[in-house]
Amino acid sequence: MRFPAHSSMKKGVLLLLLGLAVAAAAYGCVYFVCTSSARRLERSSKPELAWLKEEFNLSDSEFQRISELHAAYLPQCAEMCRQVEAQNQRVRALLAATNQMTAEIQSAIAESARLRGLCQRNMLDHFYQVSRTMPPAQGRRYLEWVQERTFLPSQGMMSEP
Amino acid sequence: MSTNEPGKQDEALGRLLQEWRANAPLPAQFRQAVWRRVDQAPAPAAPSVWTVITHWVGTALPRPALAASYLAILLTLGVTAGWTRARQETARVKGELGERYLRVLDPYAVPRP
Repeated sequence: MRFPAHSSMKKGVLLLLLGLAVAAAAYGCVYFVCTSSARRLERSSKPELAWLKEEFNLSDSEFQRISELHAAYLPQCAEMCRQVEAQNQRVRALLAATNQMTAEIQSAIAESARLRGLCQRNMLDHFYQVSRTMPPAQGRRYLEWVQERTFLPSQGMMSEP
Repeated sequence: MSTNEPGKQDEALGRLLQEWRANAPLPAQFRQAVWRRVDQAPAPAAPSVWTVITHWVGTALPRPALAASYLAILLTLGVTAGWTRARQETARVKGELGERYLRVLDPYAVPRP
């Protein structure tokens, strides 16, 4: 096998490196351009709402209305979170204090179920309000999406506490 | 027509070689000695992978058609890999934001200690 001339070898090596540089540049450019929407969502002040707007193709007015609904729901949700946590602590304390069913435990279980039902009702009501604000097709898709993740067994509210 | 032209020179040389006769006697055992040297000559070693690659880079790659193909293939690979990775990353970010939206709304989805 004859060894290539020095100039030819140099040209080949340069081409080899140029190819690798072209591949790296193409990778970087395409990655940067194609992830711009995700970066824009992450940089927004409320990324989860920005995601909702993009995912369900909301207009600015629809998004404004949904943001208001969202803001109005959050205090209710925070209050429910506080009650749920307090009830969980009560149940834990009752369970730790005995090894048999007591009237207090039965009452605490019933209260936990009542709270869970209340949460479910409030949340579903919010989901319905949000879906009604969206265009009909997107609203149906939104309801399917949230219900699958929050109301079906082993998801969110329906999972074991 | 001049005999300095390449074709004419080759013809002249060919005729000269055909006329040439070697009359000197061959040494004794010449034929056996030739075959013995052929037998004893080391077999040419197979070129190493590095040699093949170096040879390819130095001789084949600089050819315009192959160089263009090589650059086009690497460009395509870079674009495809970038696009695939970006799709995965975008799907991951959007999936996380969707879950985050639900965690904000569902009191039972809030991680508890």
